[in-house]
Amino acid sequence: MTMIKTRGLTKNFLSYKKSPGFMGSIKALYKRDYITKTAVNSFDLEIQKGEIVGLLGPNGAGKTTLMKMLTGIIVPSSGEILVAGSVPADRNKEFRKRIALVMGQKSQLWWDIPAMDSFLLLQKFYEVSDSDFKERIEEMSTLLDVKDLLHVHVRKLSLGERMKMELMASLLHNPEVIFLDEPTIGLDLVAQENIRYFIKEFHRKNNTTIILTSHYMADVHALCKRLVLILQGKKGFDGPIEEFEQILGREKSVSFSFSETIEDHTHFFENWSPEWNQSFTKVDLRLPQEDLRDIGKTVLEKFPVIEFNTEKMPIERVMKTLMEKPELALGENH
Amino acid sequence: MSSIKHYLSVYKKFIETSFSVQLSFRTSFALLIFMDLFFYISTLATVDFIYDHVAVIGPWEKNKLMFFISFMLCVDHLHMTLLSESFWVLSRQIRTGELDFILLKPVHSIFTIFFRYIRPSSLTNTIAAWGFLIYFGSKVPLTTTAWLILPILLIMAFILLAIIEIIISTAMFWLTEGLGINFLRMQIQSLARWPDYIYKVLARRLFTVLMPILLIGSAPVRFMLDLKSWDYIAGMIAAIFVFGFLMFKIWSRALIRYESASS
Repeated sequence: MTMIKTRGLTKNFLSYKKSPGFMGSIKALYKRDYITKTAVNSFDLEIQKGEIVGLLGPNGAGKTTLMKMLTGIIVPSSGEILVAGSVPADRNKEFRKRIALVMGQKSQLWWDIPAMDSFLLLQKFYEVSDSDFKERIEEMSTLLDVKDLLHVHVRKLSLGERMKMELMASLLHNPEVIFLDEPTIGLDLVAQENIRYFIKEFHRKNNTTIILTSHYMADVHALCKRLVLILQGKKGFDGPIEEFEQILGREKSVSFSFSETIEDHTHFFENWSPEWNQSFTKVDLRLPQEDLRDIGKTVLEKFPVIEFNTEKMPIERVMKTLMEKPELALGENH
Repeated sequence: MSSIKHYLSVYKKFIETSFSVQLSFRTSFALLIFMDLFFYISTLATVDFIYDHVAVIGPWEKNKLMFFISFMLCVDHLHMTLLSESFWVLSRQIRTGELDFILLKPVHSIFTIFFRYIRPSSLTNTIAAWGFLIYFGSKVPLTTTAWLILPILLIMAFILLAIIEIIISTAMFWLTEGLGINFLRMQIQSLARWPDYIYKVLARRLFTVLMPILLIGSAPVRFMLDLKSWDYIAGMIAAIFVFGFLMFKIWSRALIRYESASS
């Protein structure tokens, strides 16, 4: 069942250039040089019920704009969207009850009251029954380990604690589609892991459709099976995470550490783009996937290897390369 | 019916959370009560002082004008209690993108934006505001019918004021910065604090028909003073419907215009 479908989705923003300083401000009063920026450009997307999709892209690529159009916060300049059977821009009541948005950089909780007061207000907004409300608060606060913090003023909570409350606030009405916009931004490693575990559990229990944006590849790696890459407002990739990892070729990054300096470092390794440390006791190699076993065996036999690793998250390397050279994904004529 | 119940249950929570927030700042709470009382008394004292030197202003003698002023103070009291905070918050919500979460809530955005912040401190001045109104109403004196329709007319006056102010505030979606709009709104509101007869013909027509701000106080008070003045009330009801319809139309356009803020 298709939960999200977009066709030719485009959003243009109009802004103006202002020269710096006082004179620039005076000039902008009577003459403005308007520029149109296309944040999202002819974007086609189809997401099935229960999928968790990672929406990746550098800052300013159009991820948040896309999320805001999918939730109905902003209206597209052109194109079509259907989310959970509704046109988001119509903002009908039933649609808004079926979705949720979590933004790591914005808060929907009221700062001057405890989180529980905000939850009670949200209960009324979404018409959640008392029994469901109690059950969900109990379940989510236990899972996130924030039971003792429910009655503390939000402004007194740490960033990690507040983010957990934000998640609870957004999921209280048991939405069918969840949009997570950098939910772990600025959190420490333990808090990031807690949030990932919570999202995973919520998805497992409810078969929710989730779209996640994050600059932390660990989030994407832990949660998503499918990735959509957005670069300069256009779709650069859409497919399984394994395919994304091989977008730059079927190579694996392997590092070897040696117990002593390798004197003849140029000859043996030169075919595999070696990157040595200063003392020539550690090398990173790019090995063809099909030769990985043989080459690894030879290195182990030939050199005094004390440790070797294959890269844990190839998507991080792929993302970095694509951010530096978007034409690799978009083609030369984009 | 279930929709009304839904809105009422949300509104009850708005009141509770507003109390909860404001009572956290006790000194500010007390200062706001004092400020409102000071405003009521100084307004009435100014008119009282003028009548120490003249017998009538236009067609009305002292008690009638004092009743009009008290009526407008009650409208202002409702406005200060239920609406006023929200107008100042709106431009910040537009600029910073705070509006995003409000637009996601499954109730009408006008309700969530303009009725979210209640000022409980002003609520405590209800007795003072209504006290003045009843005192000067009995001095006029009002007929029994006029007393009975007084609360309804007061609510209608408040609704018309709210509609006009929301229409003006909607301009913030285009201008983004709200300070100028808020001052314009307050200046226009202050026009209604005096009876329509103090304005010249052209200004009176302009602020009765094109922007019916003068109907807020003058129409209901004239009707209560003379129950045969149906035309005023008919004009007020028509203005509520026409401008209410306009408000929803302009609001829909404004939401299409909304661009949120970068994260």
